[in-house]
Amino acid sequence: MAYAERPGGLSELARYGFVDLSGTMQKIDQLVKLVGDPGRSAIASLSKSADPDQALNALLGFAETYPTQIKSLLKKEDSATRLCLVLGASAALTDFLRRRPEAFGEFEKPISSLDGAAELNRHLLGVVEPLLTPGFESQKVWTALRVEYRRQLLRIAIFDVSAADPLAVQPTVAAALADLAGAAIEAGLRIARAELALTTEFGIFDPREIDDTRLTVIAMGKCGARELNYISDVDVIYVGQSSTEETSHQRAVEIATKIATRMMRAMDGTAPEPGLWQVDPNLRPEGKSGALVRTLESHVSYYERWAESWEFQALLKARPLAGDMDLGRAYVEALAPKVWASASRDNFVESAQRMRERVTEHIPADEVDRQIKLGPGGLRDIEFTVQLLQLVHGRTDDSVRQRDTLSALEALANAGYVGRSEAALFSAHYKFLRVLEHRIQLSNLRRTHLMPTAEVARRAIARSVDIKLTAEQLIQRWEGVKLEVRSLHQKLFYRPLLSAVARLDGQSLELTSQQAYDRLSAIGFEDPKGALVHIQALTSGLSRRAAIQKQLLPVLLQWFAEGTDPDAALLAFRRLSEDLGESHWYLRMLRDSSGAARAMTQVLANSRLATELFEKIPEAAAWFERDEDLIPMNKDELRTEVLSLLSRHSGVDAAGAAIRHIRRRETLRVAIGAVLGSLTIDEVMTGITDLNEAYLLGLLECVMTFDDADVCDVPVREVLDLGIVAMGRFGGAELGFGSDADVMFVYQPNQPELAEKAQKVAERVIAEIKRLATDPLLEFDLDLDLRPEGKKGAVARSLDSYAAYYQRWSDTWEAQALIRARVIAGGAELTKAFTALIDQYRYPSLLSEAAVLEIRRIKARVENERLPQGADPKRHMKLGRGSLSDVEWLVQLLQLKFGAAHPSIRSPRTLDSLRACAAAGLVAEHDARVLEEAWLLATRARSASVLWGNKRTDVLPTDRKQLEGMARILEYPRGGAAQLEEDYLAFTRRARAVFERVFYA
Amino acid sequence: MDKQTDFVLRTIEERGVKFVRLWFTDVAGTLKSVAIAPAEVEGAFAEGLGFDGSAIEGLARTYEADMLAVPDPSTFQILPWRGEIDPTARMFCDIQTPDGQPAAADPRNVLRRALAKASDKGFSFYIHPEIEFYLLKSSQIGPEGPIPVDKAGYFDNVPGGTAHDFRRKAVTMLEQLGISVEFSHHEGGPGQNEIDLRYADALTMADNIMTFRTVIKEVAIEQGVYATFMPKPFTEHPGSGMHTHMSLFEGDTNAFFDPSSQYHLSKTARHFIAGLLRHASEITAVTNQYVNSYKRLWGGGEAPSFVCWGHNNRSALIRVPLYKPNKGGSSRIEYRAIDSAANPYLAYALILSAGLKGIEEEYELPAETEDNVWDLSESERRAMGIQPLPTSLEHAIRKLEESELAAETLGEEVYSYVLANKRREWAEYRAQVTPFELKQNFEVL
Repeated sequence: MAYAERPGGLSELARYGFVDLSGTMQKIDQLVKLVGDPGRSAIASLSKSADPDQALNALLGFAETYPTQIKSLLKKEDSATRLCLVLGASAALTDFLRRRPEAFGEFEKPISSLDGAAELNRHLLGVVEPLLTPGFESQKVWTALRVEYRRQLLRIAIFDVSAADPLAVQPTVAAALADLAGAAIEAGLRIARAELALTTEFGIFDPREIDDTRLTVIAMGKCGARELNYISDVDVIYVGQSSTEETSHQRAVEIATKIATRMMRAMDGTAPEPGLWQVDPNLRPEGKSGALVRTLESHVSYYERWAESWEFQALLKARPLAGDMDLGRAYVEALAPKVWASASRDNFVESAQRMRERVTEHIPADEVDRQIKLGPGGLRDIEFTVQLLQLVHGRTDDSVRQRDTLSALEALANAGYVGRSEAALFSAHYKFLRVLEHRIQLSNLRRTHLMPTAEVARRAIARSVDIKLTAEQLIQRWEGVKLEVRSLHQKLFYRPLLSAVARLDGQSLELTSQQAYDRLSAIGFEDPKGALVHIQALTSGLSRRAAIQKQLLPVLLQWFAEGTDPDAALLAFRRLSEDLGESHWYLRMLRDSSGAARAMTQVLANSRLATELFEKIPEAAAWFERDEDLIPMNKDELRTEVLSLLSRHSGVDAAGAAIRHIRRRETLRVAIGAVLGSLTIDEVMTGITDLNEAYLLGLLECVMTFDDADVCDVPVREVLDLGIVAMGRFGGAELGFGSDADVMFVYQPNQPELAEKAQKVAERVIAEIKRLATDPLLEFDLDLDLRPEGKKGAVARSLDSYAAYYQRWSDTWEAQALIRARVIAGGAELTKAFTALIDQYRYPSLLSEAAVLEIRRIKARVENERLPQGADPKRHMKLGRGSLSDVEWLVQLLQLKFGAAHPSIRSPRTLDSLRACAAAGLVAEHDARVLEEAWLLATRARSASVLWGNKRTDVLPTDRKQLEGMARILEYPRGGAAQLEEDYLAFTRRARAVFERVFYA
Repeated sequence: MDKQTDFVLRTIEERGVKFVRLWFTDVAGTLKSVAIAPAEVEGAFAEGLGFDGSAIEGLARTYEADMLAVPDPSTFQILPWRGEIDPTARMFCDIQTPDGQPAAADPRNVLRRALAKASDKGFSFYIHPEIEFYLLKSSQIGPEGPIPVDKAGYFDNVPGGTAHDFRRKAVTMLEQLGISVEFSHHEGGPGQNEIDLRYADALTMADNIMTFRTVIKEVAIEQGVYATFMPKPFTEHPGSGMHTHMSLFEGDTNAFFDPSSQYHLSKTARHFIAGLLRHASEITAVTNQYVNSYKRLWGGGEAPSFVCWGHNNRSALIRVPLYKPNKGGSSRIEYRAIDSAANPYLAYALILSAGLKGIEEEYELPAETEDNVWDLSESERRAMGIQPLPTSLEHAIRKLEESELAAETLGEEVYSYVLANKRREWAEYRAQVTPFELKQNFEVL
């Protein structure tokens, strides 16, 4: 008795683990007063408990009421320790002892092993059965049952908290808790049968019929797997039928339903001793709306015909628990084969995905960090991976068909589906998390999976896991485990995929190709064979690249699988990797910058346009490393780069090639930003427009600068000033991926007498620009059809010629086209003169009624004629109902009508002008908003369609996969295709209504 | 689900059913039927029955021709008029796209969606329709128009009359099909009858109404007469409406009932009525979907031509029936515009959505109308703020075109189909030279 003396001081008490130091001194004195010397020696035992203060308070309370019992327990150090450990760990069990002091006896002897299911059954039935006499009172029997249950629970708790290594005994404790739950249900069934037979409260039953009724309780979930918590719902399924011919199955099911219902009341109904837990029968066929009890045959036919995949997954854990065990075994035997057949079903991939979604299901933000079960790095992560692996491989290998997580993990390791060291590591982590969960639940016997916030509570939990741990250390250790568990899915599921085709360091495990195919198709690869070939190519050899890719592929594969097209993404990644070869920076980026690698996979898995450009410009992979590199270059930067490029090159063709490269490179940059969602649609349009401007400007500069362009015998600049006028969407700075560039050319000869020569030179310059602009790798369509006289007209005109033309011939449609004209190249004087010229026509002081009528008529005709044969006008994003052209024509009409009086609305940009019109009161605010929404969605949808499929299409696709691809780029959730379609149709319908009212009014 | 399916498969076996008809309804409200052999039923439950949807009005776009009809086992019934030789059964189907999604254009799905929305708010929607129809001597139209089977009037008992036999037979058959009949009697017009169905949830009731129409037609054939649900077959006699009583329930309690307020109408009921009133004109093109429907709506008599409500006011669009003491569960309102030729799925989906909108946005209920609205003068009505319902199909189409509520409830596909279909009907109607014009103008001009 080392501590028999009164402790020397407060600091010594602190060393024993007390918090309330001065109070403790008094309390010890008081205890000694009540029980004598053993009170003083108790301090050593108290110091071993999770919460010595709480334990001492409880002890003091008990010593006042039951001095003899407490004194005798405290006399011996080991019984004193057991008592203090439980009092410190569980306030709820302390309460129980207060209610049932007879349970103090459990502390007397050490509990070195726990009772099995049979013994627990005997204990509980032994208490219950003598009370089942005719006319008995249910609540009394329930109370007896529950008291005995809690006495046994106390024994399990004593065993648990006094174990030297809590992690080692965790599986034993969890199994005992499941067995105890089974025993309670068995006793509950006995009570329920007696209620039917011996009382009349629940109907009159023929005793023979009750005897003929077979009822079995099948445990599901954690109870089924014998890995139950201290307190949790017990998931069950009931099977009932008749054992004789005299009683029909129907009658037996009726009686069995009564028994089951009464049994559940025995567990949770009101009685002097509180209820135990809820029995949850909702995993049964048809869930809440299904019959509570079914015959075996009915269960089997349900699972044969109707059950969904997840219901089979739930059956993984089914185990006969109580009642008629023969019937229970028959149930499990009949259904077990179906569980494994279910994995071969077509929709397995979706159900695996749904399983995954359940893992990441919504957890309140303030709980994420405290979740032991859900949340990243929680128990659910381990369970999900293990179950998925079981389902994938259990089809062909029955050795992995284990109910509980730890056995399953071990079996998976034994059969070679996961590495031994990983299995050992995650077993340990699983036990650690479970111990945390147990300790937290034990404290108040409440169902919770949250780490408490209070420092005191955390400290108690830390001490109960390991007496030397502080709260801070516990959290640190837990964080470490979480971090590793988070990578578990990759380590156990994805990384072994590589082993099918490559040697991995430190991993003895090798999957066969078939095993790897199984896994790959389970996560959504449509061509697992092809995928494995790519994986092999990426990981074979001894190069540094292969070594790094071996490290990275597991996580990359997971990211690919989250995109719309994993097969294509993997192939693209392989090509990229082969192109970049051993580039130092590329490998470093993949290895060190997970954000960059993630963004790259996202682009590869969701955009064919970006992927194809990527293959031409593999070095672009470097951009992912720095966010700044993903921002499109602005007009000035582009211009500077192009000009400095001209100064470095000496020939027109070489410079042209360099400029073409810039365009490809920058298009890719914008595309990546668009796929990743880091650019708004406005930024995308501006980015592409700026790029096209810089492109044409650069080529023009190039032709005018280099002699070898051979367009003139003297320097071109001495003959004329040549201007480029952007038209249409180019003029409006609204270009998307793959849009045509509409332009006109205007020039001004330097001397009147050079007029003739200037025309020739201009035409040659334009021909040369067209030649240089053509890019077989990334199509560029320079469209001159909007020039005066269209295709028949001269490709270039002088300023005077434009003036003369517009004065004499101009049609209303030309004036309308000029609204979006914007000079993007040419001297300041030319720009000013041309703009002044066209302003007279596009903003006329008065637009005649005839002209308005003509515009309306043309619009109506265009709607009919320009729409491709058979196209659904509702789905045509450019010319269809309420789509781009409706909004644009309306805005243009407003500008033609009111542009002269309201300079604020003059703009080649549709939305700018629309907003200005609304501000000027020319169109109602609400109408403008409806039009803007439709215009934006149509524009975004067109852009998404090119990004996804690298094909220009003006029709909203009907193909689900294509729609889904677009929806993902438009940031709809998985499965958002139908919503995108509904939105598009609704937005454009509303826009059309506004258009018809305003445009045709 | 499986209990019902088991029941279906067992019954087919036990009763020796030879054919099973799969029923569904197109957007126009016409019943479609395809018969399959009993051996195919199990497969149809599991995978659905493939068919070419583009052949069905408004059901599918041409490029989405493949559709699946998936029978709903809870609707299984043996058809009584087929007799004991070669017994035939029927089930209603839900229509799905090949990837197992509910088809956007399936009216049953439209109603399901609306009911799901109500259920999210904790409501279930119960309905009790009073269906009127005419019995005629034959399907041939005589020189003076259709020829009714009798000349009796409201509640008349016609001794030995066809109508009496007819109703007895029809009611028996309906009961055999599991459709409970509340009440049946002779209506105002000659040969006009009314049968009231006992209340049920809206989806079941819409199915029941489709069945009802078939039963009535079948019994008529059996008895050598002809039945029509045309909204207004006679200029001089009342039209056939389908006044519909409705209520919302929250669990087992009637959400329309509040013992402490006027007419025992709860706040929920008041908002619901307000919603229905405000949106009534928008949904009329669906509740009264034919050119002929407007001849009934504007044919005088008790027709509800004006948007107003009243307590026991038989001229109001919405009537709050007399409350029976101690029957809180039976609190309900009656919508009187809808006619017997409506597509019940779409009509009830819209009525429900309009009412829910009223609840959601807490619309204020306008004052009750106590007078007979038909007796008021135009300016009196204007002064009281009483609007007319659309006066013609064209007018109703224009209202529907402006309705966000309808577009949202029907879904974009069905909405635009209904509009296109109705515009076509109106265009064809307008092109007709009618007997009226010939009589008025031909000899004079």
